[in-house]
Order: sequence, then C-alpha cells, then structure tokens
Amino acid sequence: MYLEIVSPEATLFSSEVDSVVLPGVDGEFQMLQNHAPIISLLQQGTIKIHTHTKSQPGFKELPAEIIPLHTDDKVLTLKIDSGTVEMKDNKVIILVEK
Amino acid sequence: MQITSAMKMVSAAKLKKAQDAITAMRPYADKLTELLQSLSATLDADSGSKFSEQREVNKVLVVVLTSNRGLCGAFNSNIIKTVNGLVAQKYAGKDVSYLAIGKKANDAFKKTNKVIANESDVFDDLTFENVAQIAQNLMDKFVAGEFDKIEIVYNSFKNAATQIVITEQFLPIVPMESADANVNLDYIFEPSKLEIVEQLIPKSLKTQLYKAIRDSFASEHGARMTAMHKATDNATELRDQLKLTYNKARQAAITNEILEIVGGAEALNN
Repeated sequence: MYLEIVSPEATLFSSEVDSVVLPGVDGEFQMLQNHAPIISLLQQGTIKIHTHTKSQPGFKELPAEIIPLHTDDKVLTLKIDSGTVEMKDNKVIILVEK
Repeated sequence: MQITSAMKMVSAAKLKKAQDAITAMRPYADKLTELLQSLSATLDADSGSKFSEQREVNKVLVVVLTSNRGLCGAFNSNIIKTVNGLVAQKYAGKDVSYLAIGKKANDAFKKTNKVIANESDVFDDLTFENVAQIAQNLMDKFVAGEFDKIEIVYNSFKNAATQIVITEQFLPIVPMESADANVNLDYIFEPSKLEIVEQLIPKSLKTQLYKAIRDSFASEHGARMTAMHKATDNATELRDQLKLTYNKARQAAITNEILEIVGGAEALNN
C-alpha cells in the first residue's frame, strides 16, 4: 500500500508502507493493504506508520516532523492538529495541518 | 547601478524560493479541491453551509494584497488602481472596508480610516499557520455578519515578467463546478459526508488565501527583478552616453590646447 502525506507547505512522506494508524475523529483506526475506499476526518493526534517489511528507499531523508519510535525505528510517527484521509486503490493520501 | 543589479540578483534568488513554495503547496491544494468537488457533487446543491449564505450586500471587505517594500515597478499601483476601480464601480454607495496585507496597501488606504487590520507582518514569517489565522478571522467576521461579502485583490504569478491582477471572491463561497459525479466510488464516509464537507470548506478557504499570498509574494519578486533589470539597463545606457559626452569634451579641450601651442609656436617663428 502506498502512503502519501502532504501538508500545505510540503510533501512530508511518500513511500510504500505496511499499514498506518490514524487518529480519526471517531477514534483511532488502522488501515492495511486492500482497505475499502474511505474518506475520513482526522483529529489532533499521532499518525503511526508501520514499515517493517519494506526496505526504505523512498524516504532516506525524513523531514524533521516525522520521528521514528524509540523502541522500534520501523514505526514512524507524525503529530498532527487535524487532517483528512482518502484511501483508494491501495493508495492512501493524507492531508495534514499542524 | 551596482545597487540595482544587486537588488536584481537578490530578487532572482528569492523568486526561485517563492516559486518552489508554490510548487510545494500544489499537491495539497489540488487534492483538497478534488475531494471537495467529488463530495459536493453528491450532496444537495443547497446544503446550507454557513459560508455559502448569500446576503444582500451592504458591507464589503476588500483584502488588499501588496508588498511591504517598493521598487517593484507597477506592482503595487496596479493593485491599488484595481481596488479603487472595484470600489467605485461594483460597490458604489456600499460600506467598504479594507484589510491590508502589505505595508503599501496600508499606506494607500489608511487615509480612508476603513482599514480594519494591517496584517503586513505575515510576510516576515510566511507559514500556513499564520495565514490560516487570518483566514479564520475573516470567516468568523463573515459568519457573525460583520461583512456580507469578502473579496481578495492580488497579483497572480504568471511568470517572472508578467503579473495578472486578480479579484477573487472569498466569501460567500462560490459554488464549485462539480466534476464528474461518477468519479465518486463507493467510499466509506466517516463521519457523514456533510460533516466532512463542513470541515473541508474552511480548510479550502485557508488554502485559497495562502495561495493568494504565496502568489503575490512570488509576483512581487518577479516584478522587482524585472524593474531592477530595467533600471540597470537604463543606468548602463546613461553611463555610456555620459562617458561619450565626457570623452568628447576631453578631446575638444586637448585639441584646443594643441591648437594654442601650435599657434604660439608659429607666432614665435614668424
């Protein structure tokens, strides 16, 4: 599944990932490969990106906002204020505001 | 000449940066518009959003976007001319106020005593958050009924040499051209479509203002670069002419002196 995170100022992340955990307005939820098409709103919280089975050629240089977990550097986190997510054909696009 | 060509170089560098920033925001803006279009296409046309309420226009706010500094050709005067034209024609007899973004706009309209705020500082730290704040204030004022219509006047960036003055309606929102409703797959919506749209509209308004300011910022540097290029050219031409005149005068003086000496020598010989 391909994940793209864009903010008004830059594209923060763009790569293949295993799954992503999102702070939805109705509660946290996870999206895996072949998730049904969805459009949803995100609230303040943390996006967690799981990349265990992926080699990481697409994001050697991560922007400062994206921080790997201390305990597991294959999990990347990004704090957001609000956002919108769209998933379609195994492509996830997250619009975030900080 | 040194100064103008240095200013040209500085503007060229800043222009490059400003252009990059516009390119960087494009994916976000495009996606947001796409989402909003495909969503509003499936909603009833009149979903009653508080931002699309059409009221009788009595109180108008014009957001005037200029630069903080001068020396950029007709960049600012074009804007001010357009605003004056807009107020005189479209909103004659209405209660028009101004929001100045850029010191030149503030200077131009402060004598009307109708400038509600001067947000020129935004150029010092041009981030989305700062712009979003301004946009949020505008939305609050519109919803509270302080203004019935808000327009933005700014220079849109075409290329380094060309800026186009654009008057854009900010609020109430212009109904969007609905894209093909068929694009809309069987999406799951969480929460409801309406709630998502209500959330997306303010975001898209903030993006609209951010884009306008970014565009204006890039245009400013483009305009200054062109103006300074012309100034350098003019100065070079002047210098060349001056040099020619100076050389001619010098040669005339030398010729005169030689003539005198030769004349004197001739007189002695005789």
